[in-house]
Amino acid sequence: MTETLSGLSMSDGSGADRFRARKVSTDVEARPLSAALQPPGRFNAAARKAYYFYLMAPAIALLAFISLYPFFWLIVMAFQKGEMGAVEWVGFKNFTDLAKDARFLSGWALLFKYSAMCLFLQVFIGVLLAVVVNGSRYEKFLVTALLMPMMMAPAVAGLLWLFLYNGTFGWYHWIFQSLGFLGSGSILSSAQTSMYALVLVDVWQWTPLITLIALAGLKRVPRDQMEANMVDGASPLRNFFAIVLPNLYPVLLIAVLLRFMDNFRFIDHILVLTGGGPANSTKILPVYLFEVAFKFFDLGRGAAVALVLLVVTIILGKILVGAFDRPTKGGR
Amino acid sequence: MFYKPKKAIHSRISRRRFLELGGAGATMLGTGSLAVGLNSTIMATRVQAQSSDDAKWKQFAGSKLVFLSENTPPSFAIREKLKSFYDLTGIEVEILTDDLPVVQQKAGIDLRSGTADYVLQYSQDKPIGSPFADFYADLTPLFGDETLPQDPEGYGDDVWFENFLSACGRFYDGNRIVALPYDAAIACTFYRKDVFEAHSKDFEAEYGRRMEFTNDTTWQDVLDFATFLKKIKEGGADVPYGYAQHQGSFAWTTQLDIQRMCFANGRWIDYAIDDKLGSKTPGSTNWGDEQSVLILEKFKALADVSHPDNLANGTLELNTVYQSGNIAMQVQYHEFAASVEDEATSLAAGGKTGYAPCPKGAPDWIKNGGEAVNGTNCGIGGIAINKNASEELQRAAYVFAQWSTSADNQYEVLKGLGGTPTRKSVLQREDVKAAMNRPSSMPNALTFAPVYDFGIKDPNFVLGPKIPKANEYHSIIASQTQRMLAGELSPAETGAELKSQLDALNEG
Repeated sequence: MTETLSGLSMSDGSGADRFRARKVSTDVEARPLSAALQPPGRFNAAARKAYYFYLMAPAIALLAFISLYPFFWLIVMAFQKGEMGAVEWVGFKNFTDLAKDARFLSGWALLFKYSAMCLFLQVFIGVLLAVVVNGSRYEKFLVTALLMPMMMAPAVAGLLWLFLYNGTFGWYHWIFQSLGFLGSGSILSSAQTSMYALVLVDVWQWTPLITLIALAGLKRVPRDQMEANMVDGASPLRNFFAIVLPNLYPVLLIAVLLRFMDNFRFIDHILVLTGGGPANSTKILPVYLFEVAFKFFDLGRGAAVALVLLVVTIILGKILVGAFDRPTKGGR
Repeated sequence: MFYKPKKAIHSRISRRRFLELGGAGATMLGTGSLAVGLNSTIMATRVQAQSSDDAKWKQFAGSKLVFLSENTPPSFAIREKLKSFYDLTGIEVEILTDDLPVVQQKAGIDLRSGTADYVLQYSQDKPIGSPFADFYADLTPLFGDETLPQDPEGYGDDVWFENFLSACGRFYDGNRIVALPYDAAIACTFYRKDVFEAHSKDFEAEYGRRMEFTNDTTWQDVLDFATFLKKIKEGGADVPYGYAQHQGSFAWTTQLDIQRMCFANGRWIDYAIDDKLGSKTPGSTNWGDEQSVLILEKFKALADVSHPDNLANGTLELNTVYQSGNIAMQVQYHEFAASVEDEATSLAAGGKTGYAPCPKGAPDWIKNGGEAVNGTNCGIGGIAINKNASEELQRAAYVFAQWSTSADNQYEVLKGLGGTPTRKSVLQREDVKAAMNRPSSMPNALTFAPVYDFGIKDPNFVLGPKIPKANEYHSIIASQTQRMLAGELSPAETGAELKSQLDALNEG
């Protein structure tokens, strides 16, 4: 089947000669479809789903036993009141009571304050240290030295700093006083300064983690981009903000996520240093949770606090992960 | 292809013979394991009231007991003597020691979850006894059991120091006794005699009375001493601060700290309940009344002239401050005398420290019409038996409990590590009497006169409140008192806040 080009075709055929219009064939056959992929034969046959389930069953059972089963009971306990073996179903009372609990509410405020201070200082100092250490002649030595605080158990770090802060014989106490940062009392004896004492310990112990992660990020900053920017006349500072920092962004977000979640659960050094005092000034929510569950043995209330803490941590974690995803979608 | 020994065992022993030997071996192993597992049952010998003492001691041979205890001198000393207990009874005992808050948590989990990992437990009166008393075995049926070895002195109230058995053994029900007094920490005043003597004239010139400590020294005197010493220290004199409180992170001792002052002034207590027995339904608290607000004001006034680290000093830290010569007075537990008198670690050693009862109430500080007394409180550590354990294990545990609280053991602990006896008869021994005066071979004995002969006796003794939620109660008292000392709340606001939170606690 053929037809002439629309508008050019003349009954006498002269038009066709004048423009030497080509005849366009519309007689196009559909491209043949590839033969449907045959599933592999018996040699590489996909196993049935049940087969994979059987393989994973022991791991699932173990996980369920050590994780899901207690989690299930945590949820159940949050709706109960009383002691083990003699409980009473109270519905949402444990949760509604929390809304009226001044220690619970102040625990949240203190937790956010503590986390914000720790994260800001750790990221700032951590990146600064990574930039200084990166490419240094003593890089390996410095990295090893920086990692030392991280290797210490948090409770041991707490004990160490308890001695350093001691108002009678503490070395740091003497330094702070000599520098005029402190009056006659120790840093742990005042509701105004005790939180800073805890932040300092957390920063000392966990900034190296940020440094380590940032250092790994610095190693993969594209050299060509930096060189091109410098050729264009950018100063080192401009180079840092325009090239280095945007490239560090994804790894820093991972570091922030890790530290944020740690701050919501690590209470070892707080228990050792202040126990939440003085005057509840350092009783962040996880410390209050520990107190309710394991000092007061009010397991229903403790479970309710734990669940609320878990939900908020998940939500905040999702927000952070979302922030982590956005630059990737934008092509950064 | 493979090396094959010429005399391989399978070529010498027939398969049938091999199976027979294997079977015999397995049977022997199984029997042995069973014997080990049922050791205590197999070795246990039924005893009668008429049986020999040796048979009574040995009847639980093969049992194993775990004793969870605070890291106090008796437990360390008794751990050293476990071999002699094993030789006497054949019972193996493991003593695990830790800080009191950890002991409290482990004990709570064990008791409330229905297990008996720790058959024997150190039951400190309020922090452990009050919340967990119902989970301990009643010892009264065992006291009269003639098939068990018994202490020749017995276990009545009269063989222990005043109030000790009630403090750690009776909770909510006067007919049950759940623990035997194991060790004791009684509050008394430690003061620097040398500092007092050096400044007494100046103090007298300003205040019109001597700077000295007697049984009649009041809290007003303590406040004046502390004010005076702070003033001359800030004037440049090389003197210690006058006083410091127990306001650190250990809520229980923080509560005890303010309780002493409250009770001294009009015998004020938190609830209208039997202080020594306690109550599961204590009702509304007395906090917030006129008397309590006045004492809160005085407590704040004393804090204002105390050592600047006041809010960081728990009981241990406070003693360190005293040992280092930074304060001239502390109300401290008498078990700390041994460390204060240690010249290697203490600037207050060498006869510089005097020991007196807790300060007395001041007439001007009493609004409720009550009596002024030397309000003295304590921590009496009992040894208790986990009710979740089998009856046999409970009985074996009783053998250890009564042995560990015997007068002989307490005497040896006092001599060796500086323990704090709970049986009266220990103080009747001649060398202990001699040690109550300097020079003393048993430094803790220097405190015995103000503590055992005076402070612990009625009407000075205060204990409570024994309530099931004692630990949250301590936490509320500590946090609100600290807020007042930090300047966040006025004494009246503190009283109102305490009343509101404590009433909500007991209603909830």
